[in-house]
Amino acid sequence: MQKLNYRSHSLVPYLLLSPTFIVLLLFLYWPSINSVFLSLFKQAPFGRKRIFVGIQNYINLFQDPTYLNSLLRSTFFIIFTITIGLIFSLLLAVILNQNLKGIKFYRVIFFIPYAISPTVAGSLWVFLLNPVAGQVNYLLDLAFNIQVNWLTNSFFAFLAIIIATVWKNMGFNIIFFLAGLQAIPDSVYESAEIDGAGAVTIFKDITIPLLSPTTFYLIIMNIIFSVFESFGIVDIMTQGGPADSTNIVIYKLYREMFINFRPGIAAAQSVILLALVIIVTIFHFKYGANNVHYQ
Amino acid sequence: MKKTVLLVLVSLCFIVSFSAAAEEVTIDFWHAMGGHNLEVVNTLVEEFNSSHDQVEVKAQYTGSYNDTLTKTQSAVQTGTAPHIIQIYEIGTQMMLDSGIIMPIEDLGKEVAGDNSFDWDKFLVPVSNYYTIDGKLNSMPFNSSTPILYYDRDAFEEAGLDPNRPPQTFAELKEYARKLTIKNDDGTVERYGFTLGIVGWFVEQMVANQDATLVNNDNGRSARATASNLNEEAAVRFVKLWKEMVDEGIMLNPGRGWDGANQAFSSGRAAMLIESTSSVAGFTENAEAAGFELGTGFLPRPAAANRGGVIIGGASLWTIADHPEEELKATWEFLKWLSEEEQQVYWFENTGYFPVTKAAVEREMNNKFFAENPNYLTAFLQLLLSKKAVSTQGALIGTFPEVRQIVEESVEKTLEGNMTPQAAMDEAAERVNKSLKEYNQLNE
Repeated sequence: MQKLNYRSHSLVPYLLLSPTFIVLLLFLYWPSINSVFLSLFKQAPFGRKRIFVGIQNYINLFQDPTYLNSLLRSTFFIIFTITIGLIFSLLLAVILNQNLKGIKFYRVIFFIPYAISPTVAGSLWVFLLNPVAGQVNYLLDLAFNIQVNWLTNSFFAFLAIIIATVWKNMGFNIIFFLAGLQAIPDSVYESAEIDGAGAVTIFKDITIPLLSPTTFYLIIMNIIFSVFESFGIVDIMTQGGPADSTNIVIYKLYREMFINFRPGIAAAQSVILLALVIIVTIFHFKYGANNVHYQ
Repeated sequence: MKKTVLLVLVSLCFIVSFSAAAEEVTIDFWHAMGGHNLEVVNTLVEEFNSSHDQVEVKAQYTGSYNDTLTKTQSAVQTGTAPHIIQIYEIGTQMMLDSGIIMPIEDLGKEVAGDNSFDWDKFLVPVSNYYTIDGKLNSMPFNSSTPILYYDRDAFEEAGLDPNRPPQTFAELKEYARKLTIKNDDGTVERYGFTLGIVGWFVEQMVANQDATLVNNDNGRSARATASNLNEEAAVRFVKLWKEMVDEGIMLNPGRGWDGANQAFSSGRAAMLIESTSSVAGFTENAEAAGFELGTGFLPRPAAANRGGVIIGGASLWTIADHPEEELKATWEFLKWLSEEEQQVYWFENTGYFPVTKAAVEREMNNKFFAENPNYLTAFLQLLLSKKAVSTQGALIGTFPEVRQIVEESVEKTLEGNMTPQAAMDEAAERVNKSLKEYNQLNE
């Protein structure tokens, strides 16, 4: 039998990994580097003329009140969607974790919103929230005799995109919480019950701490979702309006690039966005990780 | 042996397919006509292909006007641009500056050497929009203007004369007040008027008062450098808008077209300003809902000068970077589209104007207008418009952005965060900044 010579095969792992590297390089790293490069220029539509402006695009952005407002608005948006989204998902996951008849069917139902496209989700909410023919206002009218101008009032429009985003991402969160819940061994619960712990105590002192690795992961994923993927819902539901109230950073970036045709400033925005997400993630790993309990 | 036969067969296939390709010139045509209009475009293209052996036009729906413009930009940079693209009217200046287009007049006269084409065949307000520096730059295709739509039955119910739609801002308000029905609990059963927040309406209302949107004769004598959005014409309209919404006689359906259309079609609002291209849809809806549809000209302030409407919609542009043979075929197709037969078909099936005089004359003679008076309103309004730079339409390189800025300012006003004057001052300032940057890049 021939002995395997690992040294002579040292190229193999790289070869095997190369498809991934090529894809990452072409579709992730190269565009990112390109964005940084592009952000140093001002460019005419159709790329006919290009002027090097250094960091002027960044300076302009940080002096632009609409951009700073948009950053602030996005921060609120992220905090609200994540808090509301995770609390609701956890509660639903606990309910869905019970041994009920047809539980699998319910689980699938709650996962569906995550599987549909943001465009479809946005359109559905536009129908539901329509002030004249929408079901939401119809029910509100029946119950409290009130009519809400969901998408034409700044406050309610902001609320509406939060609701839609939370609803859209809930399926993803529920799946992970469910998996987390099922990984907690019954023996832990049993011994707690023997010690006389009530349902609330068990949930607070056992379930939540033992779910913390899942929660930790979900917070990061949700930050990324609500920063980068909420674009579709905003585009369909409000187009950033009314009066800029739902113009979160990712949507503003899209408009700068594809409506205003200013690649330079759009690239600068994407670089800033990337930097912010990296910073938040590092902070989260550094300080949030202290609260994570592994079994 | 078998291999040799196979080889011969394969190479034969190649030769055959090559020679077939050489016979036909393929023309790519990107457009933004979705839904029902997509079928109309496809029918026209099929008709052309079956009657022209040498040319094959491939029509492709590329999303909204804005998507089409975006796709064209990336296609140009990768060298895969089509021959013909449909670009909305507000993309005109950007296309002129793009350096990629061939003016349609050059294409017809110089490349195709076509001396028989009558360049005066287009309706004057239409060709005026697309004629810059004395040259027609793109082929007029789908043109539309806004008109006032109203529910004639509701007018009678409210004691108004259905044969006399509101003509001034004051009348619009007064009529809306009379048409509004409020329930006992304070909710509104029916609004007098509704209007989607679309920048286009502000542009039209400015032109209707014979005022310009930007300086330098609406950007037509020289590049625009300053916006007139904070002047009387625009501010007056935004002020009226806010007053009517605040009074509860006008429904604010939010940004875009759908909300307002829905409100009007479902009887939630008795009057609406919308594009003429919707006349067919509204007529159908009114019939289904059991009311009679009326149409009128856009109202204007009693004190303002009489201006008119600007042609909206889109036109077809040719991209220059193609072999001469293909450009000639492109001209063939564009010329064919402007013929009377195709124009009438287009008009009757979409509601967009026929853009040539011959087509209008034919519709007049065969009593189409007599039988469909609501289609006539649009024409009369267009033809009665004053011939001036105000109604010729503004040329602004960053027009899509300007429209968004206007929409945001209207929203800020309606929300009560800003007075109409303050909001329009802010809009003008933002537009000026945008113009300055654009001009710097396109000197």
